[in-house]
Amino acid sequence: MWYFRSPQIVYGPDSLSFLQTIGISRAAIITDSTLAASGIVQKVIQSLPENASSKVFSGFSPEPDFLQIKSNLEGVNAFRPDWIIGVGGGSSMDAAKIIFAMYEKPDLQVYDITPLSPLGLRKKSRLIAVPTTSGTGSECSWAAVISEREEKRKNELASPEILPDYAILDPEMVINLPRQQTVSTSVDAITHAIESYTSSWNNPYSDALSEKALELILGSLVQVVEGNGDIESRDRVHIGASMAGLSFSNSQIGMAHALGHAFGAIFKKPHGTSVGLFLPEVVALNSRASRERYDRLNRIFPDSFREGNLQSSLKKLFARIGQPLTVKEAGIGRKEMESNRDALVSLAMESTGMLTNPYEAGTDEVRETLERCYGY
Amino acid sequence: MPKFPSEEWARQYVEKLNSSEAYRDSGKKWEGDITFVIQKDEGNPTDSFLYLDLYHGECRKYLYSANPDDVPKSEFRYIGKYSNWIKLIHSEIDPIKGVLTGKFKLEGSMMKIMRFSKAAKDMVNTATMVPFEG
Repeated sequence: MWYFRSPQIVYGPDSLSFLQTIGISRAAIITDSTLAASGIVQKVIQSLPENASSKVFSGFSPEPDFLQIKSNLEGVNAFRPDWIIGVGGGSSMDAAKIIFAMYEKPDLQVYDITPLSPLGLRKKSRLIAVPTTSGTGSECSWAAVISEREEKRKNELASPEILPDYAILDPEMVINLPRQQTVSTSVDAITHAIESYTSSWNNPYSDALSEKALELILGSLVQVVEGNGDIESRDRVHIGASMAGLSFSNSQIGMAHALGHAFGAIFKKPHGTSVGLFLPEVVALNSRASRERYDRLNRIFPDSFREGNLQSSLKKLFARIGQPLTVKEAGIGRKEMESNRDALVSLAMESTGMLTNPYEAGTDEVRETLERCYGY
Repeated sequence: MPKFPSEEWARQYVEKLNSSEAYRDSGKKWEGDITFVIQKDEGNPTDSFLYLDLYHGECRKYLYSANPDDVPKSEFRYIGKYSNWIKLIHSEIDPIKGVLTGKFKLEGSMMKIMRFSKAAKDMVNTATMVPFEG
């Protein structure tokens, strides 16, 4: 017995106008300060019903921590929203999920947000996610990442109850996404599609979503990254990223995410860049257990990038779009890397990504995989 | 072959756990005890309890009993019906999916156990290696 879980998905041009149809009275908008100052959040506010009131909570950094959640939560509690809307990349949407859970249940401890026990949410409000990047898949997932600054750790929280009620995929929200963010977030989406396809929890739904996600993303990504993309190609990548999010949300992730979360927490590198950095070498290691599945995915790559195996095809694609292939290319010096190596491996081993990785890697193999990515 | 659950099965399980390189690696930072609670159902007429004192990738002590008063109070309890335990040790149920689908219940600090999910998986994998009479 298993489940397939998904928010209701509203997609395509003008999909923000859906907000006018669901009886919103008081909307708490969770976003970051950069987006709050841009026109993006205004687009969301203008799409709310005329008589709805809204309040923007933007006190979140790119990797929100518990203190930021707590300080914003007081304002949310005072505002008493009937809808919470996360607008932004993965960090804003994850923050919205955690705020939603803690607004619903004030006695909840943040680390009680696990899939292993029921939370009893949706007594006061419901949750919407509006992504402004194409890649994190947070709008379709029941996971949320929260940082612990002092411990340099990213904690993976998860509960089916923090899955948004609606995900709104409006390509207007990503049409002006800068190149670097487009690369980083799309690499994250590619990693989701591949890791969920080979996760030990893979299933027919995640298989179909991963294959289609890769087809949509790979078919338009170079065009979008190189600035020749129109709204249709942005839309295809946006929908593909969301499908990859749905896929991993229903079958989980793997060792590239385990290493990427640890790397990102220690060196403060973007999430997509971090997971993509390790993906080709993780694919090489996991090929011992997943060769046939990787071969199937490799066949989805466009001719211009397809090599003899998935690892090589990924390297060719990543080199073309500017995704770092080594720790060195990601800007981390050897000394800095070496001094953090054991902590990084230890954090990776504690990640839930290790649980569903297709190949059962021990500490030594995780360390060796990390070292193969050094590039020094 | 020992019956499951039984003192002999528990002894063989702990022996295998202590010789498992995978568990020694994934559980090397774990400190805490856990009780497997095998609830009675049509396949087994009594509740059974297997208490495991786990420390740094090793089981220091175990205790098997059909009497709950015999086993110490532990930090974690992993609870399921006998028939579901049989499916678990036949690898027909994933230990985490088992909790998510309501076949098993886990009591204790979720935050702590999530950080040691690989160790938990290795513990269950070890259970699949102990032959038994159902």
